[in-house]
Amino acid sequence: MALAFLDRDRSIAPEGYSRWLAPPAALAIHLSIGQVYSFSVFKNPLLALHGADGAAWNLKEVGYIFSIAIAFLGISAALFGAWLEKAGPRRAMFYAACCFGLGFVIASFGASNHQLWLIYLGYGVIGGIGLGLGYISPVSTLIKWFPDRPGLATGLAIMGFGGGAMIGGPLASNLMAYFKGQGDPSIPYTMLTMGALYFVFMMFGVFTIRVPRDGWKPAGWVPAVRHSALISSHNVAVHEAWKTPQFWLLWVMLFVNVTAGIGILEQAAPMIQDLFKGSVVAAAAVGFVGLLSIFNMAGRFFWASASDFIGRKATYFCFFTIGPILYFVLPLTRQDRLNSVPLFVGIAVVLLSMYGGGFATIPAYLKDLFGGYNVSAIHGRLLTAWSAAGIIGPLIVNGILDHYVENHMNKEDAYPLILHIMCGLLVVGFLANLMVRPVAEKYWLKDKNIVVPEGVAH
Amino acid sequence: MADSTSVKKSSPVLIAAAWIIVIVPTAWGLNYTVKNAMKLFTASAPAAAAPAK
Repeated sequence: MALAFLDRDRSIAPEGYSRWLAPPAALAIHLSIGQVYSFSVFKNPLLALHGADGAAWNLKEVGYIFSIAIAFLGISAALFGAWLEKAGPRRAMFYAACCFGLGFVIASFGASNHQLWLIYLGYGVIGGIGLGLGYISPVSTLIKWFPDRPGLATGLAIMGFGGGAMIGGPLASNLMAYFKGQGDPSIPYTMLTMGALYFVFMMFGVFTIRVPRDGWKPAGWVPAVRHSALISSHNVAVHEAWKTPQFWLLWVMLFVNVTAGIGILEQAAPMIQDLFKGSVVAAAAVGFVGLLSIFNMAGRFFWASASDFIGRKATYFCFFTIGPILYFVLPLTRQDRLNSVPLFVGIAVVLLSMYGGGFATIPAYLKDLFGGYNVSAIHGRLLTAWSAAGIIGPLIVNGILDHYVENHMNKEDAYPLILHIMCGLLVVGFLANLMVRPVAEKYWLKDKNIVVPEGVAH
Repeated sequence: MADSTSVKKSSPVLIAAAWIIVIVPTAWGLNYTVKNAMKLFTASAPAAAAPAK
């Protein structure tokens, strides 16, 4: 078979292979697909495009492109998670690269011919499937390579997803400026170029990734005998995992954490300008968005790594105790109260670090509760919480803002309400985390022949 | 038993190269973003004093 080199058996690491080659492979995938967070750079150029009949797209129609992509991220992660366990990370990464690259190519034809449905299909549906496949593909492999530090390993990879926007945003802006300067159609050419560049970069990940041999463990590492009751030495299959209350408690935790983060991310630039009218210019607001993306990325690494030492439940305890307090205090920093831009920015970046940290710590939390056997598949199904938050979060934020604007009320008065709703949601997350207990024995996998990596102890 | 001396270990140069491949674009993006973020403090400073007049 032509694609036999992608088989799991062909990607088993030879003896002597360094596990430190696995994180760059994962990062190549996540830094690429993280571009989706910077899709907004295409918004204004797409709005300025006109068809042959002079028709133009509106903001809502263009906004659906991102929503479709995130929805298909969750759907494909949920659908293909179990397949990934069998097919291996290399094949999944290869298909992710094909889908993500092809998505750009189809979207470029859509932009070129002013056919929005082609952009929905390309970047939204096909690209979104690439996002889902790419997002979950390296997670369980990294956990297997780093059984001593699963939080650090998944934090490293998922940090790449947060950092992808930092590359994708300026890359798209510079390419569009370049092609415009050359007199070429800027959006189609930029999309084609980005599709090709990301495909090549993701191929580096495809050819670098290896899975450890059965029974492999880091040299000198001995799994601790005694560890937290929440770290299971048993495994739970994906079809059983989602029947457990623990799965749904974690689903709620991820959902509220993402929804709360969207409360800031969705309106970051206009929010800081509205709350500090005249004090923060447009360029500074763009800088604020950049700062949020840095802390979103750094938080993924910091919190996930910290969870290896303090435990997953304690890490989420931090998110759901510090988070509500900061969401409550954040509106008090505005111009007519404390009037402190640095305090507003300081609180917002801490909140965004916890938003990223929530994403990065969840795979290790799943591994603790359900074992490593089906962690990719379970993680894939849990990511539907992200899709749901991607729809509900903007609905809350934009719904409240629209209500204030339509009723001629002060727009800046809407933000405290939005942020206090997010505060309340995090309290729900706090309760969910509090209710997490070890998975009951009836859900454990009974097959004793299945070889699974040992878990970390703390 | 495998002879441990015959095991070919991953070259440190290869490992470093793999990391450089992902660090270089990240550093470029980070530099770009930090430069933009600095505008938050430089651009807002004069205007921030305005309401106090």
